Amino acid sequence: MSDYKKEMMFLLGTYGHIGITFVAAIFIGLGAGILLDQKVFDGRTAPWFTFIGLAFGIAAGFKSLLDILWRSSKNMEDKSDEEK
Amino acid sequence: MEHPILFISIILEKLGLPVPHGPVGHTLLEQLCEPYMTYTWLVMAFLFIVAKLTLSDLEMVPGKGQNFWEMVIGGMDDFFVENMGRKLADQFFPMLATFALYIAVANLIGLIPGFMSPTASLNTTLALTIIVWLTHHFIGIREHGLSYYKHFMGPMWWLVPLMLPIELISNLARLVSLSVRLFGNIYAKETLLAILFMLAGAFFAPLPIMMLGVLVSLVQAMVFVLLSVVYFGQAQDHAH
Repeated sequence: MSDYKKEMMFLLGTYGHIGITFVAAIFIGLGAGILLDQKVFDGRTAPWFTFIGLAFGIAAGFKSLLDILWRSSKNMEDKSDEEK
Repeated sequence: MEHPILFISIILEKLGLPVPHGPVGHTLLEQLCEPYMTYTWLVMAFLFIVAKLTLSDLEMVPGKGQNFWEMVIGGMDDFFVENMGRKLADQFFPMLATFALYIAVANLIGLIPGFMSPTASLNTTLALTIIVWLTHHFIGIREHGLSYYKHFMGPMWWLVPLMLPIELISNLARLVSLSVRLFGNIYAKETLLAILFMLAGAFFAPLPIMMLGVLVSLVQAMVFVLLSVVYFGQAQDHAH
């Protein structure tokens, strides 16, 4: 496979993954919050853990987004180092 | 929606085995006769037989079949070494290469009428993903011992209460995103093909989607393995 095609596949892989990871992180955070509210505390703490879970979920989504960005920028630096 | 014609299910029904019509069977035999199970075995048999036919006598000067496999296996080996180092690549090459071949064939088989992609069922993709997820934690624990927990603690000690839930959630999100992405892409392809075939099959309406389907199938197989490799490499690296 040519280098161009390899690069293309690599980019498709890494960046095509961002969207669903983001959504999955938010839903897991929200789900954990709702679970804590409704099952563990029987709805006594009703909206609070849901909101906290949602906030953590969104933060985790951004964190995985930043991870992907940092990783690819690190890869770029490695490659440019090799070329020098 | 009209159920697509799956020839293995029809053969099994003629043989008198219970083939479930709903999404999930009730008894063990029904669950074993699920279309995604039978087609998984078909893909496994296909891979076994093709490998046996082309590789049964290895030669110094490779023929057509051996040449093809040497290209595929050599390309994958280079790719793994590039992304996670020689040692890990040697240890986990059999598993990852099998995943790549299995997922690629399983995705592509759904493009032929009468066949179904086993990966168009969440059960199959989730099973594959759980194996990858457990293995990357296993690699982390084997490499770092108990101090593997530092991977989940963030860069500074006073950030731990904030970073621990975030790291745990983003780690669990891998499990969901890896399985749901593969399942969603392939299921969407299958459903779209079925609908277009019903609407305008006589006018070759599914043809463009089939061409797109070949691309999606190969890219998804590659992405799954790429992300597994990246996770393995990250688990082995030192914590930030």
